Amino acid sequence: MLRFIATRFARALVTIVMVVTFAFVVLRLSGDPALLIMSVDAPPEAIAAFRQAWGLDEPLWQQYLKYFGAIVQGDLGRSMRDGRDAIVLVTERIPATLALTLPALAIKLGIGIPAGVYAALHRNSLTDRLVMTTAVLGFTVPSFVLGLLLVLVFAVQLGWLPSGGQGTWRHAILPVITLGVGGAAVLARFTRSAMLEVLGQPYIRTASAKGVPWRLVVRGHALPNAAIPTVTIVGFMVGSLIAGAVVVESVFSWPGVGRLLVVAVANRDLAVVQCILLLVAATMVTSNLVVDLLYGALDPRLRQMRAGGAH
Amino acid sequence: MRLARRSLLAGGAGLLALPRFAVAQADQRPSITIAVQKVTNSNTLEVLREQSNVGERVFFTSLWEGLIGRNWQGALENVPMLATEWRRIDDRTVELKLRQGVKFHNGDEMTADDVVFTFGRERMFGDAQGAPMGRTLFTTETMPGRGGKELPPEVPAVAMRIWPALERVEAVDRHTVRFVNRTPDVTMEGRLSRYGSEIISRRGFSEAATWLDWARRPVTTSPYRVAEFRPDVSLTLEAHDEYWGGRPPIRQIRFVEVPEVASRINGLLSGEYQFACDLPPDQIPGIERNRAFEVQGGTILNHRLTVFDKNHPQLRDARVRRAFTHAIDRKAIVDSLWAGRTVVPKGLQWDYYGDMLIGDWSVPRFDPAEARRLLREANYRGEPIPYRLLNNYYTNQTPTAQVLVEMWRQVGLNVQIEMKENWSQIFDRNSPRAVRDWSNSAPFNDPVSSLVNQHGPNGQQQQVGEWTNEEFNRLSIELETSTDHARRRAAFARMLVIAEREDPAYTVLHQNATFTAKRKDIRWKAAPAFAMDFRGHNWGA
Repeated sequence: MLRFIATRFARALVTIVMVVTFAFVVLRLSGDPALLIMSVDAPPEAIAAFRQAWGLDEPLWQQYLKYFGAIVQGDLGRSMRDGRDAIVLVTERIPATLALTLPALAIKLGIGIPAGVYAALHRNSLTDRLVMTTAVLGFTVPSFVLGLLLVLVFAVQLGWLPSGGQGTWRHAILPVITLGVGGAAVLARFTRSAMLEVLGQPYIRTASAKGVPWRLVVRGHALPNAAIPTVTIVGFMVGSLIAGAVVVESVFSWPGVGRLLVVAVANRDLAVVQCILLLVAATMVTSNLVVDLLYGALDPRLRQMRAGGAH
Repeated sequence: MRLARRSLLAGGAGLLALPRFAVAQADQRPSITIAVQKVTNSNTLEVLREQSNVGERVFFTSLWEGLIGRNWQGALENVPMLATEWRRIDDRTVELKLRQGVKFHNGDEMTADDVVFTFGRERMFGDAQGAPMGRTLFTTETMPGRGGKELPPEVPAVAMRIWPALERVEAVDRHTVRFVNRTPDVTMEGRLSRYGSEIISRRGFSEAATWLDWARRPVTTSPYRVAEFRPDVSLTLEAHDEYWGGRPPIRQIRFVEVPEVASRINGLLSGEYQFACDLPPDQIPGIERNRAFEVQGGTILNHRLTVFDKNHPQLRDARVRRAFTHAIDRKAIVDSLWAGRTVVPKGLQWDYYGDMLIGDWSVPRFDPAEARRLLREANYRGEPIPYRLLNNYYTNQTPTAQVLVEMWRQVGLNVQIEMKENWSQIFDRNSPRAVRDWSNSAPFNDPVSSLVNQHGPNGQQQQVGEWTNEEFNRLSIELETSTDHARRRAAFARMLVIAEREDPAYTVLHQNATFTAKRKDIRWKAAPAFAMDFRGHNWGA
């Protein structure tokens, strides 16, 4: 197991280094932070002074080496717009983002999985079709369209909820629903497919033929086996908790990590972008690792393979 | 930086505990919320650091005041502000009498000492030797002006651009100051009225722990002071009840960043915001269909231009550039894309130039036949000409570009749009540049503030190597240094001829405009500028 975790950890490090390098090169080659942060109408002397002060006039490779060296020492750099440590800026925004993504994840899990299971158990029924039609609608409507639609109905027409901003718990309702609906729809579809596949397996027929009550067959045999693909999707959703609400945060003017990322990319505020990317990569890698470990817990065959090598 | 568990927990506890206005029971004045696309670009509230249109909106007239002000509800002419009167001692010296009894946000009375400090090295021009340079964003070393009181390097650079020849500011007595220039300059009064010359409290600056602390809560004389500034999120101002111009009519003004146009409009219609700014013209009819709302605003001190790079092989011949200028039906653009809510100005000048305005000047007439003739004479044979374009950096930029390309095609110009993501890509020299968009402002009421500053020898267009003209550059110096009004006016007129007709550097398309929607029952008038005036005379009057 230790070897397994070590291998995954090493692979994760390589992934993070690649992400950081790619982002550095792309961001630096596609725009000059001085011009973007100081604005095009700033005096040329001011732009030159800014470049010199932040070392942007040095060769790119030199900037990269310094940047990478600092990261290795745990220094993620400073925001060129804000002047503060990038990590401070990013961590300041994480609570706001989690205030949306965690309840949204609960909606995804709380609605998506039961709906998918129910639809699979009632395959081809009216309820199944209704659930699946709703699911298709849920994940085909882009989140910004759904968000604006909800605002139009619940804020503008009915006046029940705020249209945007971060003020009270009521401000979070519409963005959380917007985020949750799409994910719940995806989960419902996946869960239904996985369940249907499992329900068609010989061991389900065998269990039924042995007289095991259907309820127990579903709970004891179908659900654990169908959980593996579902856990994979949930893993991705957990991995995107930090920066998975970029569009919704913009539509609802929610000051989270997503909006910070948009502003930082637009201004080529490299330290901030890189800091967010590192956090996202770390979250995603951790989530994948947990998912891998969960596979073993859910499926004893995988556990044995890791312990004794593949046969 | 180490993440403390306690700070994380505190952050978590505050997930949904968000800022709300305190209710002052005795204070019956209203609080308002204004939805804007951006509060500031630089995440500071310092006029020398935040040189932008969006900055103008939150700064003037709520947060910053200069010695000489502008009549924001009139023709933007100079008016007494923190100085009650001024006079010329000679062609390099202006003396100003300060208004008495003006209080800063910290309760101090404004004196000549504050004015001298405002224009001093510590706050404005920095150390002549320059701030520590060459540090990178990747080190933990303190950046200039960020960790301590040192100015960020761009602040002195901007200050030098605003006051290139200021020798000293003298306190004659407690309420009299003199500005002395190294060279004769007839624009000193204009420079005193411009964005960047506002007055700060010496004690306010000195007491701030760092430059950044001060730049996020500047202590000035304005009718409102900073209550809370959350960069990229919101700026809350509260009334400064000791304001020299009388008790401000609004208790709190909150500017909130709402990047999406639809979200700003929805928030206005649902009653969360009292004002929604930065609206594109095509949204106006939709908002005004609701009788409870109206859209105000209009032209501002900013013109949209098409700019030429005369080094491009097809544009070296001035006749091709002139053909560009004659092929544009500017009125059609104004009528179709701006619903007639802006105007085609008299070239790169503004009415508030006063007697420096060249009244009989105009943009090149729309004349496709003339454009075709010029192209024939120049032997242009339809070679492609690139047009580097940003996606709606300016309002209506992309549709305007598409209309322009079609107008140019009608006369035989083969202009090809190249979409770019940012200004670095617009200025990139690795491939041939030819045509791009720009806008020019006039920070004060003299052509030096625009034609010279933007297109002269030190202006952006020449600095990036797009265009130069020897005679134009000679005249730029004359316009900056001469004190002979007739000669200055003649020089300006000739410079317009060169830059807009003979050897086009640019061509003016139309004056820019900005639109703000609000509830009709709020009695408030938009200024002909980005600035939003919330002083007593413009609220509920």
